[in-house]
Amino acid sequence: MGLIILFGVFFLGLIVGAPVAFAVGLASVVTFLYEGLPLFVGFQRILSGISVFSLLAIPFFIFAGELMLHGGISTRLVRLASAAVGRVRGGLGMVNVSSSMLFGGISGSAVADTSALGSILIPIMKEKGYDADYAVNVTVTSSVAGVVIPPSHNMILYAVAAGGGVSITQLFIAGIVPGVLMCLALAVAAYIVAVKRGYKGEAFPGWMSLLVSFVAALPGLLTAVIIVGGVLSGILTVTESGAFGAIYAIVVTGLVYRELRWEPFKQAVYQAVRTTSLVMILVGCASAFSYLLALYSVPQLLTDALLGISDNPYAILLMLNLLLLGLGMIMDMAALILICTPIFLPVAQQFGMDPIQFGIMMMMNLGLGLCTPPVGACLFVGSVIGKIKIEHAVRTIWPFYLALFMVLMLVTYVPAISLTLPSFFQ
Amino acid sequence: DSWRGWNIHPPSYPNGQALESFAKEVADKTDGRVEPKVYHNAVLGDQPDAIEQVRSGALDFANFNMGPMGPIVPAANVLSLPFIFKSPDDMYRIMDGEIGDRFADALAEKNLIVLSWFGSGARSLYNTDHPVKTPDDVEGLKVRVMNNDLYVQMIDEMGGNATPMAYGEVYQSLKTGVIDGAENNYPSYESSGHYEVAQYYSLTEHLILPECLCVAKASWEELSDEDQKAVREAAEDAAEQQRQLWKEGVQESKQQVLDAGVKINEVDDKSAFQAKMQPIYDAFIQEHSDLESLVTDIQAAQK
Amino acid sequence: MTSYSNQPSEKSDEPPLQTLFDRFLDGLAHLCIIVSGILLVFLIVTFGWLVFGRYVLNDTPTWVEQSSLLIVVYITCLGAAAGVRNNTHLSIDFVREGLPALPREIMRHIADFFVAAFGGFMAWQGWLLVMDNLNRAIPMIGLSESWRAAPLAICGLLMVLFSGVNIVQRLMKHGRK
Ligand code: NA
Ligand code: NA
Repeated sequence: MGLIILFGVFFLGLIVGAPVAFAVGLASVVTFLYEGLPLFVGFQRILSGISVFSLLAIPFFIFAGELMLHGGISTRLVRLASAAVGRVRGGLGMVNVSSSMLFGGISGSAVADTSALGSILIPIMKEKGYDADYAVNVTVTSSVAGVVIPPSHNMILYAVAAGGGVSITQLFIAGIVPGVLMCLALAVAAYIVAVKRGYKGEAFPGWMSLLVSFVAALPGLLTAVIIVGGVLSGILTVTESGAFGAIYAIVVTGLVYRELRWEPFKQAVYQAVRTTSLVMILVGCASAFSYLLALYSVPQLLTDALLGISDNPYAILLMLNLLLLGLGMIMDMAALILICTPIFLPVAQQFGMDPIQFGIMMMMNLGLGLCTPPVGACLFVGSVIGKIKIEHAVRTIWPFYLALFMVLMLVTYVPAISLTLPSFFQ
Repeated sequence: DSWRGWNIHPPSYPNGQALESFAKEVADKTDGRVEPKVYHNAVLGDQPDAIEQVRSGALDFANFNMGPMGPIVPAANVLSLPFIFKSPDDMYRIMDGEIGDRFADALAEKNLIVLSWFGSGARSLYNTDHPVKTPDDVEGLKVRVMNNDLYVQMIDEMGGNATPMAYGEVYQSLKTGVIDGAENNYPSYESSGHYEVAQYYSLTEHLILPECLCVAKASWEELSDEDQKAVREAAEDAAEQQRQLWKEGVQESKQQVLDAGVKINEVDDKSAFQAKMQPIYDAFIQEHSDLESLVTDIQAAQK
Repeated sequence: MTSYSNQPSEKSDEPPLQTLFDRFLDGLAHLCIIVSGILLVFLIVTFGWLVFGRYVLNDTPTWVEQSSLLIVVYITCLGAAAGVRNNTHLSIDFVREGLPALPREIMRHIADFFVAAFGGFMAWQGWLLVMDNLNRAIPMIGLSESWRAAPLAICGLLMVLFSGVNIVQRLMKHGRK
């Protein structure tokens, strides 16, 4: 009964369009009342859920991402990608994918990626004769790679939601190969579509120009090197390297590029505060929620239910994927990571999946959800920038979905893809 | 009644096993009038939160380490004074006796009924650089400690650089020299893998923290005298089992780290370390004059 | 969907008093954001100091970890309260927005009620936590744990205020029609 109340109130809140955090929160409160548990326990969970050391990295990453957007790093990344891969057929498609790989390597936010790169690249692509739907499709789907390529604040959320038993460093390393694979698969898809539609490549600007744009982009690229390098080398903890990356980004955008002035700086701070608080309040409310999930042994119930359908681990993993994909279509990523990890991870582990591999798989599923209707933040942002209807974009997006889905299946059924690289760093 | 119990460790840990047999024994002895269920791995919150939950009766029982108990029960800080106990056996003897009852009374004031005392071994210093034999060997070492002013002061008094840090960050930080050392008991030193990166384990045994198995006052008072007796017996049996399993675990872990090439050393003269701690004791007693007799009685019991 | 836009302003046909009140609430929300922003910058600076102290001075500032865990609660709660006023919280509104006017209005009321009710509980329980923890110190920085619970009470109150005003204003608009 308690479980019915918990999920009943939660879904009611979702359907009427209440903020997800407070739907989660009120559902928990009502269930605490029903169980006769003291209410303070729920709010204590919220406070403890927020006051977690590794979560401190989240505001830093988000802030660094905002600085890139407002301080001129992203434009230089696009110029570099353009000089490097623009001459391939459908060149700007390749530029888009590879910029995403570079940018995603720093911001870790797919929506930020879509709006930052999309607002630069989509207008250029349209101007050069690419169809708007193609420009939007490439931008939106490739931004998902940023969630998987380190650093990524969503991975920190996952590690925390997993109960602290998962190393953030290992997760970061594990994301590299799947992230690059996603970009490769998308580049192939972008190429094939480009050939079909008869898009041409750009003229190669020459090696000198490539070198110049590389030098210009280098200080910005180093933000990622500092954050990831600090963590992988172990010199800095994840949180410290996030802070260091943010400080470095201030220096680069303010002193080297000289594009960060007071107004953009203020904008970056406000945006970072806004995003951080929305994610963190969700973290807090979700920890009250997951207290109740643990109390009702929900993971065990789900495992039993899945086992009732099939006891073949491959089938179970496929079901988990479909569930996550379905949920990703209707809900936002951060909320799903926080709510689903405590439920699904024990199930996946029971069927022999490594928590790191599961984490990558989950990021990809939920990332795909960002590009699908009805709730796909990236798809919305991309369509708005491209000035086309969402239906228009979705009609031709399937080759890109297919590319991502193939990589998802590889990650699901071939543990080595996510686990080989981290094993060298143990 | 179904009882909810909190445990920070995995079920396979000595404490987890002991709590499971406690649950089973209680259910048997009360003919199912009380049916405890243990929630392992801290799924219901970390220790400070769980303490509040047991105090309020949201949870019915728990196994708490006395280290993080200090902010709620000031007397518990006595147990966090460095070198207050000479050995785990001394600690068990003292906690099982009249002095232990005084701690139990202090917890009872906060609605926590202590039924028996578990152990968590002796915590010693380990580092990446050299054996620690005298306090001078700690000079300049960056040592990770738990978040407690007493532990920070302890390292500072030895001349080291105390660095509070989340437990999960310690391995990487040792590996790359962000910190030089940390301190823990054998089982944690081994299971965390810290022995792979910090090869010098020096038997300072500076902290020997007891743990309690306690029940929420509200749940306790609902029991008949007969059931209270049954639950207390089960708790004492669980303590016996936990201490035994812990001892075996220490031996296994010690052997494992030795096999891995860790260099374990005795400290030449523990009293040199103890002497360095005098300012901490002085400040502590000055701040908590009501706890002075507790400190001196524990010391007297080990003469 | 994830909404990033502010609510459409309908200031033109409101009475002046209400405009003033709206401005006051907007100012309150903006103040929350400013305070959070300053705290965020402070957070980054203290971490720089932490790394500097550890590597250069070989004297780790032990207060950074605990103080930043405290500060992040303030950033979160103040930002979340402002998010209620500015309507920037993550929510799913495609179901609601696809419905005819009447059910849509009712669902908006329920959604605001969710925020107000949860905010009410948050203010109440946050206040209790403040009172219960007066004597419990946060390790390493000496402040009372009450400081950590205080933002819950503040955020709860603001949530009730902001969402309550939404409900009332929507009802008033209906009354006038
Ligand atoms: Na990333
Ligand atoms: Na892109």
